[in-house]
Amino acid sequence: MGNYMTMVAAQDAAALEEVQTPAQTETPRILSGAQALMESLIAEGTEVIFGYPGGAIMPTYDALFDYTDRLDHILVRHEQGAGHAAQGYARTSGKPGVCLVTSGPGGTNLVTPIADAIIDCTPLVCIIGQVKSTLLGTDAFQETDIIGVTTPVCKWNYQITNADEVPAIIAKAFYIAKSGKPGPVVIDFTRDAQVSPMTKPYEYKKVETLASYKPRVIPKDEHLERAAQLINNAQRPYVLFGQGVLISGAEEELKAFAEKTDIPCASTLLGLSALPIDHPNYVGWLGMHGNYGPNVLTTQADVVIAIGMRFDDRVTGDATKYIRQAKVIHIEIDPAEIDKIIKADAPVVGDAKETLQRLLPLVKQNNHAAWRNEFKKYDLIEDQKITQRELTPEGQIKMAEVVNMLSEKTKGEACVIADVGQHQMIAARYYKFKNPRSYIASGGLGTMGFAIPAAFGAKKGAPEREVVAFIGDGCFQMTIQELGTIAQSGLPVKLIILNNNYLGMVRQWQQLFFEKRYSFVELQNPDFVTIAKGFGIAGHTCSDRENLGESLDRLLQSDKPYLLEVIVEKEENVFPMVPAGAAVADIRLD
Amino acid sequence: MTTYTICIFTENTFGLLNKITVIFTRRRINIESLTVSETERQGVSRYTITIKHDKREEVEKLVRQIRKVVEVLAVFGYLDDEIVYNEIALFKVATPVGGKPIDIETINKIYKAWVVYWGLDYVVIEKAGNENEILDFFRYIKSYGILEFVKSGRVAVGKTPAGLVEYLPEEVHWEYYV
Repeated sequence: MGNYMTMVAAQDAAALEEVQTPAQTETPRILSGAQALMESLIAEGTEVIFGYPGGAIMPTYDALFDYTDRLDHILVRHEQGAGHAAQGYARTSGKPGVCLVTSGPGGTNLVTPIADAIIDCTPLVCIIGQVKSTLLGTDAFQETDIIGVTTPVCKWNYQITNADEVPAIIAKAFYIAKSGKPGPVVIDFTRDAQVSPMTKPYEYKKVETLASYKPRVIPKDEHLERAAQLINNAQRPYVLFGQGVLISGAEEELKAFAEKTDIPCASTLLGLSALPIDHPNYVGWLGMHGNYGPNVLTTQADVVIAIGMRFDDRVTGDATKYIRQAKVIHIEIDPAEIDKIIKADAPVVGDAKETLQRLLPLVKQNNHAAWRNEFKKYDLIEDQKITQRELTPEGQIKMAEVVNMLSEKTKGEACVIADVGQHQMIAARYYKFKNPRSYIASGGLGTMGFAIPAAFGAKKGAPEREVVAFIGDGCFQMTIQELGTIAQSGLPVKLIILNNNYLGMVRQWQQLFFEKRYSFVELQNPDFVTIAKGFGIAGHTCSDRENLGESLDRLLQSDKPYLLEVIVEKEENVFPMVPAGAAVADIRLD
Repeated sequence: MTTYTICIFTENTFGLLNKITVIFTRRRINIESLTVSETERQGVSRYTITIKHDKREEVEKLVRQIRKVVEVLAVFGYLDDEIVYNEIALFKVATPVGGKPIDIETINKIYKAWVVYWGLDYVVIEKAGNENEILDFFRYIKSYGILEFVKSGRVAVGKTPAGLVEYLPEEVHWEYYV
C-alpha cells in the first residue's frame, strides 16, 4: 500500500503543477476540481465539514488545507460519525450538513447515516472520493460502486468525472438536498476529477429551479378552500403535526392556526418541540409510546388535519383501523405521501409554512374547549397510572426522573439529543420543550449510535444552545469512538448515559411478547467514566437518588464536554405502549 | 392480475435505469417487460415498463414514487385500453434441405409476418403485434422448428391527442431529436 500511495502522490504532484494555487491566482482563475469544490461549498454558505480523509479523497483534503480559514473541518473517528454529526448540524441549523469521506469503506460507512437522513428528511451533501475514472469497474483498491449502493437510500446521486462539472453539480446537490422534502445527496468524486484543472474559469451559479424536479411549495387554492371548509364545519377537529412544521419553519404559523381555530394539536416524535409543551392547544405526542389521550382520541376526531407528517406505522399502529371515522386533510410537500398510508379526503400538497399562512384567513375563529378538555381526562389517568409512579419511585433511579430533573434545571430550553431505545422514548415523554428544534433523534430508521455524533453536530449548528444527549449503554458503545472527536474539537456537549446494563427496549419486548425469554440483551459494560477520561473527557457516575440533582448540576455547569453516567433501574418498561400491529385504541398503560 | 403499462419520460442521464428499477424491486413488483429509447425530443428518454398487479392503488403509489426520482420529467400508468401498443418478435426458423418448406403466403397474409433474412438453411421472420398475435404465430411456426425466438418489450403511445411536449416542463425549449 505504501508503494501505491507514493506512486499516486507522484502522479498528483505532476497534475497539480498545472494548477495554480489560489494565492497566486489572477483572473481568469483556473482551479482544480478539488479547489472548485472548496469554492462551491463556500458559495453555498458551508461553515463546517464533517469528514475523514483517505486515499481517493486526498487531493480534496489537500485543497482543504488552503481553505481552513473559511471552512471548518471536524475530523471524526468513523465515517458513520461524520454522517450523524452532519445530521445533528442540519437539524439544529436548518442548513444542509456536509460530509467528506474517501472511497470504498469510507463511503459504505456513510451509508447508515444516508439511509437515516432520507427517512428523517435531513438535508445532507455527502462528498465521497472515488478511484480514478480510468480504474472504475476494475475492482481497484478501495473501489466501491457507491452510486449503486446509495441509489435506494438517497434523494439524488451523481458521479463527477470531470473537474468542469464541479460548480454546477454542487449547486444542484445543495438545491436538491434542501428543497422540497429535504434529503441526502451523494456526490461520487473521482480522483482525476479532483486533481485535474478545470478547462474553463471557475464560475458559480446557485441552482434555483430544475426542469425535472419541481416541488410544489405553494398549495392550490381549491385544495385550501376544501380544507378550510372541512375545518370550519368540524365538531372535533384534531391536528397531527410532524417534522414538516420544523423543516419549513412554520412554528409560528402553527401556533396562530391552533389559537384561531382552537384545535387540539398532537405531535409525532420528530415534530416534538414545534409547539411548546405548555401551549394550551398542545395535547401531547402520538404513537407507540406517545401519550394516552392523543392516541386514543384519534378515534373520536371527525376531522384530522395532518401537517408535515407521513403516518408512520409507529404513529398509526394498525393503519387499517386508524382514523377511519374522520375526514382527513393531509398537508404535505411530498405528493407521494398523499394516500400512501391513510387516504386523504382533502390533500393539500405544499410547504407547511406557506400552506398554514394561506389557510389562516380561510378558517373561522372557533372554540373547541369542550373537545380539548376530553384530552385532560385521559391525561389524568396517564398521570396517575404512569407519570406519578415514574417520577416519585422508590428503589433505583428511573430514567424518567433524570429527564424530568434535567428539564427543570434547563427550564426546557436545552436541545435534547436522544439515541435509540427506551431512553429515547423517555426523553420524548418527560422533557418539557420550550423552543423549536429541541428534540433530535433518529426516528424513522432507529439508528443506535446516532446520539454521540449528532450531539456535537447539533452543537456546531447551534453553538449558543445547551446540547444534552441521552444515550443508552448499548447505543453508547456503537459510536463510542466519537468521544475522541468531541475531545479534539472541544465542543462542550453534555452526555448522559442512562445505564441499565440491558438493551432495554428489546428486553422490554422480550418480556412482554416473548415470554421473558431474554435472548442476548444483557451487556457486560466497560467503565464508561474511565473510558471518557481516557479520551480526555471528564465525567462521573451517579447511582443514588440523593446525588442526582448535584450530578446534573455538575454536568450543566461544566464549560467543557462532560459525561454523566446514571445507573438506572434494570428492568424498567416504557408505557404507554401500543403493541406493534395493534390499533392505537388498544394502547396499554401497564 | 391486470396489466399496467408505465411510461416514464426522463432526462437522458447516466445510471437512471437503476434508479427506476430499484423502486419496483423494493415493492416486490416484477417487471414483465422494459424498453428504453430516445424520444422525438432531444435529451428525453422514454421508458415503457409493463407490470401485472391486482391493486390499482398500489400502481398509483408506484407511479408517484417514480415521479420522485429527480431526473424524471413525467410518468403515466396506463391500462391496455388507454394505449396503442405493440411488440416485435424475431423467429429463426430451420429450413433444411429436404425439409418442410415454409409457407410464405400464410406467413404474410394470415399472420402479417415477414421474412427479413434468408440464410442457407434457416430464415429469420419478423412478426410485430400484441402478445397474443405473436403467441399465435409462435404456435403456427413451431412445427417448422424454431432455432431462436426473441421478443422485444412493449412499446406504447397513449390514446390522447396530446403530444409528449405538452407533458414536459414548459420553460425548456425541447428540440426535436433529429
